[in-house]
Amino acid sequence: MSATQLKSVGDSSWRKDGISKVTGSEQYAPDISVDRMWYGRVLRSPHAHARIVSVDTSAAEAMGAVCLTFADVPQTRYNERIVSTPPCLYRDRTVVADKARHVGEALVGVAAPTEELAEKALRSIKIEYEVLQVITTIEQAQKDGADPVHDTVLLNGEDKPIINNVAVQRTIDVGDTVKGFAESDFVIERSFKTGRIYHAQMEPKTVICQPEADGGITVWASTQSIHNTRILLGQIYGLPLNKVNVKKVALGGAFGSSIQMNSVTPIGVGLALKSGHPVKIATTREEDMHDHVRYPSEIKLKLGMKKDGTLIAGEMHAFEFKLKQYVGLGGTFWGQGPASKCIIRSDGVPELLKTGAELINWDKRPKPGSQTGRMRRGIGMARGFHTSGVGHAKASGAEMIDYSGAIVKLNEDGTVDLIQSLMDHGGGTNHAISKIVAEELGVPNHMVGISPCDTRTSLYDVTTHATRGIYAGGAAALKAAKAVKEQIIDWAARVLDVLPESLVIEPDQELGQGVIYCPNLAERRMTVGDLARYLHLNSLGTISSSQSMRQVNCPPAYVSYYVDVEVDTDTGQIHSRRAALGSDCGTVVNPALASGQLIGGLSKGQGYALTEDNQWDPVTGELASKGFWVDGKTPSISESPLVADIETHFAHTYEPTGPFGAKGLGEAAKNPAAAAFANAVYSALGIRFYELPITPEKVLAALAEQAAGKTARAARQAPAPVPVAE
Amino acid sequence: MKKHTVRFSLNGTPREITVNANELLLNVTREQEKLTGTKYGCGIGECGACTVHVDGRPTLSCLQLAVAVDGAEVVTIEGLAKGRELDPLQKSFLDNNAVQCGYCTPGMIMIGRNLLDENPNPTEEEVRTHMRGQLCRCTGYASITKAVMGAGKCATGDFKIPAE
Amino acid sequence: MYMNTNTRIVSPEFDFIQPKTLAEAFSLLEEHGATAKLLAGGTDLLVQMKMERQQPSHVISLAKVKELEGIKAGDGLTIGATTSISAISKSAPVKARYAALREACNAYSTVSVMLMGTIGGNLCNASPAADTAPALLVHDASVILKTAKATRKVPLKDFFTGPGKTVMQPGEILTAIELPEPARGSGSAFLKISRVVADISQVCAAVMLVRDGDKITDCRIALGSVGPTPVRMKHAVGALIGQRGTPEAFDAAAEIVARDITPITDVRATEKYRRHVARIIVRDALLTAWQRAAEGAAK
Repeated sequence: MSATQLKSVGDSSWRKDGISKVTGSEQYAPDISVDRMWYGRVLRSPHAHARIVSVDTSAAEAMGAVCLTFADVPQTRYNERIVSTPPCLYRDRTVVADKARHVGEALVGVAAPTEELAEKALRSIKIEYEVLQVITTIEQAQKDGADPVHDTVLLNGEDKPIINNVAVQRTIDVGDTVKGFAESDFVIERSFKTGRIYHAQMEPKTVICQPEADGGITVWASTQSIHNTRILLGQIYGLPLNKVNVKKVALGGAFGSSIQMNSVTPIGVGLALKSGHPVKIATTREEDMHDHVRYPSEIKLKLGMKKDGTLIAGEMHAFEFKLKQYVGLGGTFWGQGPASKCIIRSDGVPELLKTGAELINWDKRPKPGSQTGRMRRGIGMARGFHTSGVGHAKASGAEMIDYSGAIVKLNEDGTVDLIQSLMDHGGGTNHAISKIVAEELGVPNHMVGISPCDTRTSLYDVTTHATRGIYAGGAAALKAAKAVKEQIIDWAARVLDVLPESLVIEPDQELGQGVIYCPNLAERRMTVGDLARYLHLNSLGTISSSQSMRQVNCPPAYVSYYVDVEVDTDTGQIHSRRAALGSDCGTVVNPALASGQLIGGLSKGQGYALTEDNQWDPVTGELASKGFWVDGKTPSISESPLVADIETHFAHTYEPTGPFGAKGLGEAAKNPAAAAFANAVYSALGIRFYELPITPEKVLAALAEQAAGKTARAARQAPAPVPVAE
Repeated sequence: MKKHTVRFSLNGTPREITVNANELLLNVTREQEKLTGTKYGCGIGECGACTVHVDGRPTLSCLQLAVAVDGAEVVTIEGLAKGRELDPLQKSFLDNNAVQCGYCTPGMIMIGRNLLDENPNPTEEEVRTHMRGQLCRCTGYASITKAVMGAGKCATGDFKIPAE
Repeated sequence: MYMNTNTRIVSPEFDFIQPKTLAEAFSLLEEHGATAKLLAGGTDLLVQMKMERQQPSHVISLAKVKELEGIKAGDGLTIGATTSISAISKSAPVKARYAALREACNAYSTVSVMLMGTIGGNLCNASPAADTAPALLVHDASVILKTAKATRKVPLKDFFTGPGKTVMQPGEILTAIELPEPARGSGSAFLKISRVVADISQVCAAVMLVRDGDKITDCRIALGSVGPTPVRMKHAVGALIGQRGTPEAFDAAAEIVARDITPITDVRATEKYRRHVARIIVRDALLTAWQRAAEGAAK
């Protein structure tokens, strides 16, 4: 099947949640309130590392507030992210902590009838701290005698000791690297450092929990997975899952920051259960900025290659500063991919590279170091990918949970409800999947509605993460749509008195309906709506299907970046001037939104490459920004290239395992950005940078070294590839 | 703390409410008036998600005391469509797929509306200058720029929200 | 303890008073004394209150004191204290004669803040990074400080005493900013370096040059974010006056500026970077102002 025959998939009509979003009526978690609702606040640690000696909440309680301390919460540790199976799930968290492990650690929850009273109550709580050693670097943490941040970690029910603050080490060996390096013509070794990037999703994390009369709870939360939130809340508070209902609400961006259950979610639930009132905690931006970040990393890389550039051996030592709750929580951010093995059955890379190169004028790129003026232009490219989902558990070796569910039902007028718990972070995933359903059923796109749902009325979906939404979630919905279509055809065949095999369904834009007809018997036709009404009026039942599935493959979604920068050698500032962004996401389901995701990836990638670094003070462990967005420095419209200077393009591929040939796009959209910018800066200046972000300070320092003509350049620019002795 | 009576027009409707001196227009709009389209993003005027119009002027409602809008005309994102007719800029945001997660959208549209009121056919440079205070983490801003520049082509009443 | 601030609300309680006349404002200030704060646009005071750096007992809004707002042009310019940054940037006389001020206003964070924020507020907050301050310093502005009984005119160069500190006495209100008519043959410019466009400056600089042929007959240079207060540069000016306006002379003056300033390292920039870019923007601003002075003389 070729994409050109498709009717709904591939069109750029208004996204279905668009009207509610442009009119302000869309409801995100912070917009939810319920009757008798109390307001919650969280007391957070001002210390990076401190033991709690005592907590006195008496003054707060005297004001009528309810408090939740470590003594009030279940003491069994959990892992807030449950996409892995128990044998590789390290559990180290409680609802509120007994020890501060980073500035901003949640220590006490408070709820009161008004937000003002909750605030006053929070301020009346007295905590005595025993301040411990602040550890902000990997070296400090691993030193003998360093204060342990966690004494033990719980794995599969076993309390495992932590030595020198290292809880987990993972070694992955493939092939014979000794032999590979020996056979290499060249070997290069490099070290890289990446920054500490705040997700900066626009919606600060929020939870509302309403206790129900039967002892259950209803929860609205900022999350990438309503079902994983439900499972965790059930486990923590000992509630059967049919008494934990998590509602699906719009998500104001996430970028990986809500893969885990957010820190305020179980606190809100604990406060609601204790007070008997619905409780809402809407975090402040400053709390949010302390609560999640992309881990900084240090990577040592050694590569062996043949004269023709073929890579034949590699060694990588990566230290992600994943020391959870040390001086700041970590989390995944767009682009930190799972270590999955995928089967490549569609490859648009050659096309992406060719098109991108033409769009940016790659052949005319400045020769590194050839320019002398103040403003120097440079073109750089990089390509990358992200798997679409995580594939099969056993094949990935990472023991990941990965499946989706969907319910598709035909309504009594021929419209269709798609009920799917899969979250849309904003990229248009739900809209895309509704188009996949429309395509399969042969009805116009607008006939398929995206139903509000919750965990009690929907099937499990692991999480919208790992670029899996359309590929994995869309495949589950397609499976349900196929089953529904089969039933439609079967019933229509009976009504029209023809063989089911002779019928087709196609959207009729004039009628605004799907039409079921027999191509060689023109009069045997009816609309899907006619059929639905017939079934209803004759009490023949509802056509529906509820399906669940796991994608066994996780095909790479490839992305190519060509960027053009202008470096001001007087100020060190780097301006992003042009970009050609290519994606191989298989069949493009939402063309305009897909293009928007690529450009959004450019913006985030530019921040990652050039400006953003939410660093802490190495002595106090406090964030330099103090959590105020004035020092967050996410790129604005002014930092972006002009509209006409950004080109997006898509490879003409068809992924045989994807719904209508589609693969993922999401995170891949950002992956090559930093490398492309670093290469562009090299093209402009002839200087290599191996540490992000490439700030004006770093540029000026490197230019000064270059001007001094020092061999210092060698230190910054790692040694040229070394020929291996014969 | 003394309570204050504030009389103002909210999306064309006269309102009389009682507030504390330290209450913010953002919270009064969202919680007392149940108009949740205006968003809290950063609380310190850095992101623009809370932008509303006060007497026609874009205002960061997270830094605006409610007591001080006494006598003013306040318009929020909910007041932009005329009945069921979308504002041309709202339509242009949809046409240009300038909405992703949508959390920044109300603020974007409010400041964009203000620009278009002053200058119906802004250049790209004018759009960039006017909207530099509105943060969006999803779109990379290109679609938003196109939406604001293209709004002139959408006449009011071009699109009616379908009746429920 | 910064950790438990709440920018969702203004948590300190205070009384709000909105006088309609300056006389009323003075008596309120007198009554509530040192714990009262004047509110103009609120884009700084409200942020300070949310960050818990200010906790006034009374907030006295100047929004309805109409005599404080507006721009009067004559021999020079008088700008009412509650005139918005946006109104100044759009003002015809400012556009025609006070280029540095106009550029400083346009570089001011965001459009909403330009519309809400006022020039008086910007000065009274006495932030070392206040964008309008260096521009007003090179335009040789003075501020009018009034009490119920007295009025004094203080040159802006003597106004700031430290971060957040000024010479203002309790009970005083900054009512207006006065700018003298620019000298014939003068040109001015303002430049700012920041991490992103809508941001507090890492360094900002304003310059004013008076030109007679190819000679510099008068000059002022002022910078922001390079010391505890916005600051005027004496040595660099001394090196320029009487000289020919050449790129070399501007470069040399900029070098002196980079040496004289006393920047610190903070979350926005390092001391070293501030010195480096101060030199760049002072040089560039001098070149621009020199060009403008020629254009002005030609008119």
